[in-house]
Amino acid sequence: MSLPVAPLNITAGDANDPVFVGVGEIVSGRFPDRSFIQSLTQVAIRALKDASMVPADIDTVVLIPALHSFDQQADLVFSRMVEELGLNRRAKANFMVHSGGSTSDNVVRVVSGLISSGHAKTVLVLQAEGWGSADLREMVTMLSWNGIPAQWERESGLNFNSIGGLITQRYMLESGSSAEDLAGVCVSLRKWANLNPNAMYANKTLSVEQVLASKMVSDPLHAMECPMMADGGVGFVMTSAANAKAKDLPAVRVAGSGGVVSHYSIGQETDLATLGWKIAAERTFEQSGWGPEDIDMAQVYDSYAAVMSIAVEGLGLAKSGEGARLIASGATSPGGSGIPMNTNGGLLSAGHTGVGGGTALLAEGVRQVLGRADAPRQVADVNRVLIAGTGGSYMDSQVLLLERAGRN
Amino acid sequence: MDKQTEEFRSGLRQGELLIQRCEQCSRLNMYPKFACPFCQSEELGWAQAAGTGSLYAFTVCRLASPAGFEEELPYALAIVKLDEGVQLLGRLTPDEDGEWNGYALDTPVEFVTAGSTGEGARPIAWFSRAGSSAA
Repeated sequence: MSLPVAPLNITAGDANDPVFVGVGEIVSGRFPDRSFIQSLTQVAIRALKDASMVPADIDTVVLIPALHSFDQQADLVFSRMVEELGLNRRAKANFMVHSGGSTSDNVVRVVSGLISSGHAKTVLVLQAEGWGSADLREMVTMLSWNGIPAQWERESGLNFNSIGGLITQRYMLESGSSAEDLAGVCVSLRKWANLNPNAMYANKTLSVEQVLASKMVSDPLHAMECPMMADGGVGFVMTSAANAKAKDLPAVRVAGSGGVVSHYSIGQETDLATLGWKIAAERTFEQSGWGPEDIDMAQVYDSYAAVMSIAVEGLGLAKSGEGARLIASGATSPGGSGIPMNTNGGLLSAGHTGVGGGTALLAEGVRQVLGRADAPRQVADVNRVLIAGTGGSYMDSQVLLLERAGRN
Repeated sequence: MDKQTEEFRSGLRQGELLIQRCEQCSRLNMYPKFACPFCQSEELGWAQAAGTGSLYAFTVCRLASPAGFEEELPYALAIVKLDEGVQLLGRLTPDEDGEWNGYALDTPVEFVTAGSTGEGARPIAWFSRAGSSAA
């Protein structure tokens, strides 16, 4: 297959190299009294403070969608956050970027292009979600309609957990992974969440026995293997390397990216146990010149244990068929022998904040490179992080490579 | 409802599983499209599927169905790779005990005409183990 890959037009040290300079986050969980706009405002202010900036430094506001309410989402598109932040008649543009769970990757591509081309100088990206406090039944039905073709699949009763079940079953067959291996992935993620004060399950431990004793939801997935919908929010600031240098800000650059859209409906995915990850990885490494051995840390979308395991294998971070066993072994957990993965606890333990699940992983990757994670979650000497996003029917596999920017 | 959805569903109601076929290049498309993805022709017709294929993956939905499916729980959803080289999502008929333990991946299944022809049946393809009485 020919690869639609070209090197980035920009290299480390260029004045217009797009960089992250700050991240902000609020705790995930169920907070019915927390207002959506308040959450967005809080993550905005936290991200700006982290970047040593104020709202007036921002010329472009980019929104990541909220799935809990189309009504509230409309507020974002209609520039409410510009007004909330006092940027009336200052902000140049306000708009939304959306590709479901992989928005984390695509929003960075879009913002990077804006900054390197000069269409934007400093961009504030905001996300908040109210899934945890929304009506569960309404959300389940909404998720059973979004990304599932009305003409060909909706009448089957397919829902998102069943999509996870189909992928998990095929992955188990092809990898020989056991139910214990997959439950073990959930347990490994929980160990990171127990070190993350913003995680939904920061204060709850988890065992393989507990996972396997929980109710079967969609075979072979047990209830505790399904992501818990959560409220949460993340913001981050990107600017040019020249601007970061002028302000003497530590920064994280984008060393490359790659991806593939493998299908739309799950019924048309021809290789459930691989999805698009091998192609996405090949393209990513081709663009950056990196290999899997160059990665210090990975933040990989984990709505289900098999989804993460398949990605980790396709990305070359585990041997073929060994993804679940590698993660379950504890190698990627705190103090493990391998590269740390999903150090915020992942969607499965930090909480599934809709489109924000992937964004929280991205923010955690940036935070770790900046050295700003809470002790003892902060990993020493993290220079290069891989971010991997997907979601919905796992229609796409998207990868970003981030690295600490030089300050010379 | 658009024409190809209506025709596909009409086929299911009559106990036929249809696969879209391009009138220009004769290639098969699933799911049906508005233009052939191979040659971009908008002249699209149908081929009747043999109804035989291989069980690629299945899951039994037991909890948290979409609204309107509660009374059908539990139900099994399957991706079937048809012998014609295309695939689709459908349902699996249960074994006599109401479960699906008799199914195994990569084993033959066949389209069950009764699944979509009854009164009020949903417009979705049902499959059973090849050679089982339900087919």
